[in-house]
Amino acid sequence: MRSLFLVALTLIVFSSCKPKETTLPIFGEREFNGTDTTYHTIAPFAFLDQDSTLITNATFKDKIYVADFFFTSCRTICPIMKTQMKRVYDATAKDPDVLILSHTIDPLYDDVPRLHNYARMLDVSSDRWHFVTGVQDSIYKIAQTSYFATAREEKAEPDGFIHSGAFLLIDKHQRIRGKYDGTREADVDRLLKDIEKLRNEGE
Amino acid sequence: MKASSLLIIAFVIVSCSSRSDIEFQQYYNQGEVLYAKNCSNCHQKDGKGLALLYPPLDKSDFVDNNFEQVLCIMRKGKSTPTIVNGKTFEQPMKGISSLTDLDIAEIATYIYNTWDRQRGIVSVNEVTEKMEKCN
Repeated sequence: MRSLFLVALTLIVFSSCKPKETTLPIFGEREFNGTDTTYHTIAPFAFLDQDSTLITNATFKDKIYVADFFFTSCRTICPIMKTQMKRVYDATAKDPDVLILSHTIDPLYDDVPRLHNYARMLDVSSDRWHFVTGVQDSIYKIAQTSYFATAREEKAEPDGFIHSGAFLLIDKHQRIRGKYDGTREADVDRLLKDIEKLRNEGE
Repeated sequence: MKASSLLIIAFVIVSCSSRSDIEFQQYYNQGEVLYAKNCSNCHQKDGKGLALLYPPLDKSDFVDNNFEQVLCIMRKGKSTPTIVNGKTFEQPMKGISSLTDLDIAEIATYIYNTWDRQRGIVSVNEVTEKMEKCN
């Protein structure tokens, strides 16, 4: 009796030590239609990147991507975010299915030539990292309603804008699978691990 | 008599050097705090900069050879391209007008005594004098 109890106890301990479910969560509200579940996805968008190429949802078909919001003249958190995003860029250099999408939240100033120059100075390729500009309200709207990220003008802020330093991980079905603080190295380490998890995830 | 005067001289030397050591340490420590707050976002905590966007302060011939200009840039910024170790950095830097002469002295003490530099203390008086000559 006692040994049976010990065996049971051992089993419980071992089974609880099993690695937890490793799939990443799916962010946002979901709708159930009978047996089908519809998840929150990124709304349709169309912006221009640093090469004047039209960037839309189709650009990211069958791709995983990391999105963020910044502006080139920002001195507060953006330089840290860009340092960290460059790490993501370098770490995924050999992953053809991973892209980066950085939206400017100051499109009046950050036009295509300025973004082109910025990308050149950061020494990154437009094949893998798109810096996009567009209609300001469209960018703010997609930030808030699609990516759940804060971005708006705020005169009281040091550089005139308020925005989150978040990096968003988007899967091949345009769903948000992770949110990270792009100003914290440890959080970006987690993002790099999650990108690998997502790449290994079955369809 | 002889021994006691030697002792006094030795005491004076020790207390003088330790006083300036303490002052250096105060400048350096505060400079490190101010560097983290005002400079490291772009130039990085390790001073290595970022690609061609933000020039390095560690291993930088510009920093080594342009001490007075570096002091001015902290407060007044720089809008012309800067050549560092043969590379051109075009992104303008906005100055931080709120930095006092003492802040600049402390940051300079940090920058010029880190990353293999050993300039010693950059005093507030020296900075005040140099700042008057900024363009």
